[in-house]
Amino acid sequence: MQFSAEPRPLRPPLRRPRRLVRTIAAAAALATAALGLAACSSGGSSGSSKTITVWHYFSASEKAQVGLMDTYAKLFEKSNPGVTVDNVYVPYDQIQSKVTAAANAHQGPDIVVFNGAEAGTYALANTLLPIDSYLDSFADASQLSPSTIHKVEGKTYAVQGYVNLLGLWYNKDVLAKAGIANPPTTMDELTADLAKVKAAGADGITLCGLPQGQGEWQAYPWLTDAGFSYQDPSADALAKAFTTIQDWVGKGYLSKEAVTWDQTVPFQKWEAGNVAFAENGNWQIGSAKSDAKFNYGVVPMPLGPDGKVYLGGEGEGIGKYSKNPALAWKYLEQTYLSTEGQLDALKAVGSIPSRTDAAADPSIAADPLLKPFADSIAKFGASYPDPAVKPASIADLQLAVGQAWSGVIGQQSSPKDAATQLASKLAGYVS
Amino acid sequence: MSAIAVSRVTETAEGAPRRGRRRVGRSGPVAIVLQILLFVVYGIPILWIVLTSFKDSADVIGTQASFVFTPTLDAYVRAFQGQDLWPALEQSLVISASTTALVLLVAIPCAYALARVGGRMVTIALALLIVLQMMPQTATVIPLFQVFGTWGLLDSTVGVILADTALLVPFAVVLLRPFFRAVPIALEESASIDGAGIVRRFLSIVLPVARNGVATTATLVFLICWGEFLYAINFLLSPGTYPLSALLAQQVSAFGIDWPALMALSVLTSLPILILFTATYRLLREGLTVGAVK
Amino acid sequence: MTTMTDTRSTRAASPDAAPLRRRRRRRFDRRWLGVLPAAVVLGALAFYPLAQLVRMSVSAVTSATLSLDWAFVGAGNWIKGWQEGDLPHAIVNTLVFVVIVTVLGLVGGLVAAIALRRAGRMGALLLGLMVFIWALPPVVNGSVWKFLLADAGLINSVLHSVGLPSVPFLFDEHLALVSVALVNSWAIIPFNALVFRAAILGIPEEIFEAAQIDGARPAQELRYVLLPAVRPTSLVLAVLTVVYAFRSFDFIYVMTYGGPGKATNTLPFLGYLQAFVRNDYGLGASTAVLAAAFVLVLAVVYARSVRREELES
Repeated sequence: MQFSAEPRPLRPPLRRPRRLVRTIAAAAALATAALGLAACSSGGSSGSSKTITVWHYFSASEKAQVGLMDTYAKLFEKSNPGVTVDNVYVPYDQIQSKVTAAANAHQGPDIVVFNGAEAGTYALANTLLPIDSYLDSFADASQLSPSTIHKVEGKTYAVQGYVNLLGLWYNKDVLAKAGIANPPTTMDELTADLAKVKAAGADGITLCGLPQGQGEWQAYPWLTDAGFSYQDPSADALAKAFTTIQDWVGKGYLSKEAVTWDQTVPFQKWEAGNVAFAENGNWQIGSAKSDAKFNYGVVPMPLGPDGKVYLGGEGEGIGKYSKNPALAWKYLEQTYLSTEGQLDALKAVGSIPSRTDAAADPSIAADPLLKPFADSIAKFGASYPDPAVKPASIADLQLAVGQAWSGVIGQQSSPKDAATQLASKLAGYVS
Repeated sequence: MSAIAVSRVTETAEGAPRRGRRRVGRSGPVAIVLQILLFVVYGIPILWIVLTSFKDSADVIGTQASFVFTPTLDAYVRAFQGQDLWPALEQSLVISASTTALVLLVAIPCAYALARVGGRMVTIALALLIVLQMMPQTATVIPLFQVFGTWGLLDSTVGVILADTALLVPFAVVLLRPFFRAVPIALEESASIDGAGIVRRFLSIVLPVARNGVATTATLVFLICWGEFLYAINFLLSPGTYPLSALLAQQVSAFGIDWPALMALSVLTSLPILILFTATYRLLREGLTVGAVK
Repeated sequence: MTTMTDTRSTRAASPDAAPLRRRRRRRFDRRWLGVLPAAVVLGALAFYPLAQLVRMSVSAVTSATLSLDWAFVGAGNWIKGWQEGDLPHAIVNTLVFVVIVTVLGLVGGLVAAIALRRAGRMGALLLGLMVFIWALPPVVNGSVWKFLLADAGLINSVLHSVGLPSVPFLFDEHLALVSVALVNSWAIIPFNALVFRAAILGIPEEIFEAAQIDGARPAQELRYVLLPAVRPTSLVLAVLTVVYAFRSFDFIYVMTYGGPGKATNTLPFLGYLQAFVRNDYGLGASTAVLAAAFVLVLAVVYARSVRREELES
């Protein structure tokens, strides 16, 4: 080393650094005190039997959903004096691992509100209590649409208070500019419309191309329209659907960037005004009303006779380690499963009730935005996830399809290769 | 390296009167170009964060590349109206300060030991620490949940502090060790002649000389704690006890992200950091370089 | 061990150093006691999760069996991971990613530390900004860059305005990995700069003065003063940066989710998908252990080179 001085023995400065010692001692004291303080202030557990703890994944920004949870809490507290409902928000990314970790330690909430498609995962992870006996004694059980009752290996683990599904949103102004009178009702019409829209200088369609479950959920209508089904996963049908989509990308109807879009971004792109179509859900009604500054409408997905649309939505289950499962079921009966509760959800969020009587509510048929979704349920509605898929393989399947979907949109693989590879993988996931 | 430090202490011990401030503001042209580059590369994203925090959520996508929009304080108003902000700030302070103090208490002696003793054991210990550093945090959540469940530390701040401490001790030890190695052993040896024991020698000689490293490590540990949210979200069961970082992570949801709220909360979360950093920056620059041995 | 301490003590050339040396010849070095608190904390809270992870990697663990007894499957998870065909691609991606992040992160950190060495208020502000960035959670930084790099984002708008075609930063199958790696380097540079700066601050001003009196030009000052002084630090930083790059998955999660298709799958992201999306914890653990094994090799090389260097010094 250059520039070094000769080391010399020296008398180290012993006096001054005492201050440092004192600082460290103070820090240690602080740490101890802080730990003590923290121990005292640790939150009380929500173990009281008169409290229903509900874990959900609606962040404060989803005002309608959070408002609905509050409404349900008040509804139940009013009819059950002395009971408190504690709504606890856990981020979507964390809720499954947190529920799993809690169940592993024999803890957890009374109610979990989760992505209905993951019912199998939650059930297999021993986080949910089978609710067959409660459901059997529920007088209105026959009102519930079968696709909203989640069974895994013969036992029921979750119910749904409402369903969410995809439709085809369209921008009337852009269609008018391109000389299109009516929104498409078939794939051929849609493809022709996309060409006209493109020629008129607007963008064609936005959808989600993320390589994960959301991508699979959005791919499903297009795949089934091409004749694909999970009962009999054929590479030819897949290749047909993939070819159409990649063709859209190649012709500039759909941006390749869709591979980075979740379901929200493409709708915001559409709301910005220069896109003709968006494949998106009924849960966007509120957002469209507040943010879309043009004439718009929504129609069922333009699918053929084979076409299907998943009926999604949140599943509601009882936590395996709930201290009072009977009260938890009572909460579900009086909120998510009651006519009153379901109409609250319809009003607050625009979600379609799972009860037949509530779904027949005249307010749905009268609403031009809700009606197409209600029509879709009857016409294309399919259980989500597909019953042909083994419960333990649902997540594998969603990821595999999502990745293939994304690879096709991103032009990473040819439709044929993607279809062949995916079909061989799917064979192991379906029964 | 060691010789450098010796020379400095030597000089001061002899009473070199003027260890003037570092001359400030004398950067060469290359340095100035680099500084401008850094300003652009780090300034633009920050500008973007701040601008977005003043946007209306409907404007975020439409005006994503533009600086022209109608500013609104809406996101900040919402952040302050929420009841969570102040308790979260307090919680963040408690968690970060306690963890930093604990980590330093544990890591300093360990780093010093690993810097001074030799042999195969040190190699093994270092390799182990690096493997621990490599553990994905997502993989530690489930086993730690079990451990805390057994110890009754779930839903308690102490649990989070302990988890954060375990997370950061390997990092701190690995980072601190070279700073302790840089302290010449001759200094300690002469102190031992004065009859100082290990502890005293360490506290009065080694620690002051290695203070830059200790202060930097402390700052980094504090900052990492401030941003850590995975443990906080998983081990704290009641959301009322979440720290700021967990509030921030909560803005991201299944149905997309409330960009203005996320960015406004990012700004609010980072302000205490910026204040702390400005304080320690001065300390690091002047106090610590000049102070302890003057 | 003895050689090392002997050399050092001799070099110290202190006539009074004998008692200390004698004490050190005892069989047990009392300074090992310093390791004790760390050993207790890590033993209680870090080694158990580590052992669980390793055990998981050789067991069949899914969400269904997580809370039950895990069946031992030996190398089954590794074989499964290999047969699924995602591993080779993920390993290549990881190596590319780690090289970019490590090189850029270290060089960028050092350059930033040197550029900010003498700067006054401006330097403080700049370093403050950088620390601000580093302290932000990856989801914020990643989202910001996702916006900036989008098709209609700021960077492409600027390119457009000067007549260049837009660049598919995040959705081209080759470019996406590089883009995410660049953002990752950008995020780690402040940390490296801060640590390098601490090492540079440790250099006494007199040495710079002496160098200037000797007529050293900046390049020489860099070569003979700064670089030797930050050498031990840069070794540690290199290891920390490699580890950071090797385990980084949040930026990929936020910016590309491994896509398009599987184009940006790296080992940690693959492990995440396997464990937390597909709920095959055993498979995910085996991928995590594999990534750790890569780092372990590097760690041993590092620890040995540190020892060799320290023996020589």
